[in-house]
Amino acid sequence: MASNNSIKKTLTVALTLCIVCSVIVSTAAVVLRPVQVANQELDRRSNILQVAQLYQPGIDVAEQFEQQITARVVNLETGEYAEELDAETYNQFDAAKDPASSRSLSGDDPVGLGRVENFATVYLVGDPENPEQIILPIRGQGLWGMMRGFLALEGDGNTIVGLSYYDHSETPGLGGEVDNPRWKAQWEGKQVYADNPMEPMIRLVKGGADSEYEADALSGATLTSRGVTNMLQFWLSEMGFAEYLARFHDNSQGGA
Amino acid sequence: MGIRKTLDNLEPHFHKGGKYEKFYALYEAVDTIFYAPPDVTKGTAHVRDGIDLKRIMITVWLCTFPAMFFGMYNAGLQANLAIENGYGAIGGWREAITLALAGGHDPGSIWANFVLGATWFLPIYLVTFVVGGFWEVLFAIKRGHEVNEGFFVTSVLFALILPPTIPLWQVALGITFGVVIGKEIFGGTGKNFLNPALTGRAFLYFAYPAQISGDAVWVAADGYTGATPLSMVVTDGMAGLTQLYTWMEAFLGFIPGSVGETSTLAILIGAVVLLLTRIASWRIMLGVFLGVVGTAMLFNAIGSETNPMFEMPWYWHLVVGGLAFGLVFMATDPVSASMTNKGKLIFGILIGVMTVLIRVVNPAFPEGIMLAILFANLFAPLIDHFIVQANIKRRQKREAAFNPVTEETA
Amino acid sequence: MASDTPKSVVFSPVFKNNPIALQVLGICSALAVTNSLSVSLVMGLAVIAVTSFSNLFVSLIRHHIPSSIRIIVQMTIIASLVIVVDQLLKAYAYEMSKQLSVFVGLIITNCIVMGRAEGYAMQNGPMMSFLDGVGNGLGYAVILLFVGFVRELLGSGSLFGLTILPAVQNGGWYVPNGLMLLPPSAFFVIGLLIWILRSFHPDQVEKTEYRIVANSKTKIKETA
Repeated sequence: MASNNSIKKTLTVALTLCIVCSVIVSTAAVVLRPVQVANQELDRRSNILQVAQLYQPGIDVAEQFEQQITARVVNLETGEYAEELDAETYNQFDAAKDPASSRSLSGDDPVGLGRVENFATVYLVGDPENPEQIILPIRGQGLWGMMRGFLALEGDGNTIVGLSYYDHSETPGLGGEVDNPRWKAQWEGKQVYADNPMEPMIRLVKGGADSEYEADALSGATLTSRGVTNMLQFWLSEMGFAEYLARFHDNSQGGA
Repeated sequence: MGIRKTLDNLEPHFHKGGKYEKFYALYEAVDTIFYAPPDVTKGTAHVRDGIDLKRIMITVWLCTFPAMFFGMYNAGLQANLAIENGYGAIGGWREAITLALAGGHDPGSIWANFVLGATWFLPIYLVTFVVGGFWEVLFAIKRGHEVNEGFFVTSVLFALILPPTIPLWQVALGITFGVVIGKEIFGGTGKNFLNPALTGRAFLYFAYPAQISGDAVWVAADGYTGATPLSMVVTDGMAGLTQLYTWMEAFLGFIPGSVGETSTLAILIGAVVLLLTRIASWRIMLGVFLGVVGTAMLFNAIGSETNPMFEMPWYWHLVVGGLAFGLVFMATDPVSASMTNKGKLIFGILIGVMTVLIRVVNPAFPEGIMLAILFANLFAPLIDHFIVQANIKRRQKREAAFNPVTEETA
Repeated sequence: MASDTPKSVVFSPVFKNNPIALQVLGICSALAVTNSLSVSLVMGLAVIAVTSFSNLFVSLIRHHIPSSIRIIVQMTIIASLVIVVDQLLKAYAYEMSKQLSVFVGLIITNCIVMGRAEGYAMQNGPMMSFLDGVGNGLGYAVILLFVGFVRELLGSGSLFGLTILPAVQNGGWYVPNGLMLLPPSAFFVIGLLIWILRSFHPDQVEKTEYRIVANSKTKIKETA
């Protein structure tokens, strides 16, 4: 035992252990990396398919995504596609943190984002020129934290197909009911804009929605409901996708 | 002396070795309802007085009556007002009783309001009493201690801080949690560090938030949603509140809320009795009051553009929500509060500060008194510890100053 | 502990000497990851893997570990294993790893792992140490599964995601207990479990730290 405590032995053991452990850890990390990336990608894609109501259990998500969905990057200010950015690699959440690729919302920040990116990734179902559905990423503060989700619109850029959140931390049973299939089902067929294509009308109301611009609020969750309304209003306004969506209103009126 | 004789005849059966040994607790409970307990102190160190735990508890219980009766009247009034405005009454046996006894839903009739309110409140109280009493007796028998009168108080307080429309099975669950987890686990009355009634309510608050918070639960009319004054301020600001209710209305209690908490005046009547009989500590009450006033004024001074709760003045804080009720009946619970005099004051201030803090700053909980009291309950032993330690130090110093010589020789 | 048999080493931590119920270790993760059964199961398996292998490796090299750095050596082994498990979960059980988030990483700080490495593996052979790790991991997993069972059933009305009690939000009759979805509820569930266990095994009850003297008379006599 005495030899165990000599400086030489101590150093040898420590060094050997460190080398062995680091080799094991880095091998695991490197070997498994591709699988993990594929998983994350798969997760994102199945979220998108779900909001577009195209998801069916048992099908190959990757394959269906490739066939039906095209990702494009949109310039939020002009509403034009930004061809110079690759939709596969562009990450709008990272972009929102970088002052070079985002703008500050100081003072006018109902959704609590702080900064918002200049370019956002949208997903188009079917023919990218004349899509069946347009899927927009939205996010904003709920009661307890950031809620992230997707909003799916029909090809006219005005009729809602679905709204779903893939990441939130709302109170179970109250705000957490944004995940409830019954609540989510009411969104289908709701309208976003009335006359002014820059002014979204859609909102949550308490005690019974009675027009196509209104949806039922979450009962007992005033602040989560307000967060949802704010984030829809924000992302569908000029600050968000309104400029971009305007082109589809014309499309549909043109008889598409 | 018929009762005494009957009881004495029965007594041997309940003692050790008797037929009903296990049920001694029940015998003792009945016996002490009619007569003073047989065991009295004999040493010289005790002041002999007619007041015992049982009398204290009964007094507190009676003190809640103004709030309870007004609460029933007001619950009925709020419902009848809503019904007059075109909302449907919630049918069933409650409706049948109301129609039989009061003949209708006239908000102008005190009797009609009272009957309707009673059909909502009395079942809550009954369930609380039966279910909670069951646990109380079960533990008393199992552990061989006496059934404690403290439960009279716990049960009425618990029933009074619930919204009138709460489902009765939730009442049963809530009081079960309050009595078992909040009290009996720690050894029963006197050993619980949390207020059992509030523990039960907190359980319901987090377990079934839809039935105990929000806008739809305060008024017993079908489909009616009416915010409590506190959530009104959160959404519409002080202007939204003052449009609907004057301060005097809130003080008198003509606002929606939990059954017993609405009328500050009725609660004050109980408070006066509690203070005169010295059952409740004036230090705790004063502490809460100071804490609320100070914190509210601080927030008034800071101001906020986005949060309308900042502008709520202290005199409004005192009359809306459960603050008055909590201040008088919950914070002063002698078991879970601080024991030392200075500690009581600090304990009270902590409650006052936390209540306003939760009300104003926390976006999810419009009301804060329940959580504030439970929070302060946890701190009560710590506060006492520091007070006692400080006292010891002070006296040691004094001792040293007066007898420097003995100190050295010792 | 000369009389240890492989069987007793594996099973005694599960019921008699449970790391959570008796020693009250590893509570943090038991609170956070028990809101559904499947997550509890994965977490339990991860802990079994880490405790058993860390015990095995520590035991294998126990004669070469200098006592001055033994804690660090144990930590390094445990940390490496935890990272490997975390990476494996991310690769092959992505949904689970999302829900477990940081709590897999926090196995490193789980006192059970460290405690067994230091308390058992340092003195015993590799085979027995491995089994001891499995046993203690199992003891942990059993409690997690129990808590997960109660919380998922009462909180969501389901087990392993399958609806058992149809919830009112979905047109059923069961009103889910929201408290059960919040981490503090695990405190109550574990507490009640310990209560039940100790009612059956009174020998597990700790001695009271002090007793209140029944009558002050005796004390006065003593001092006088």
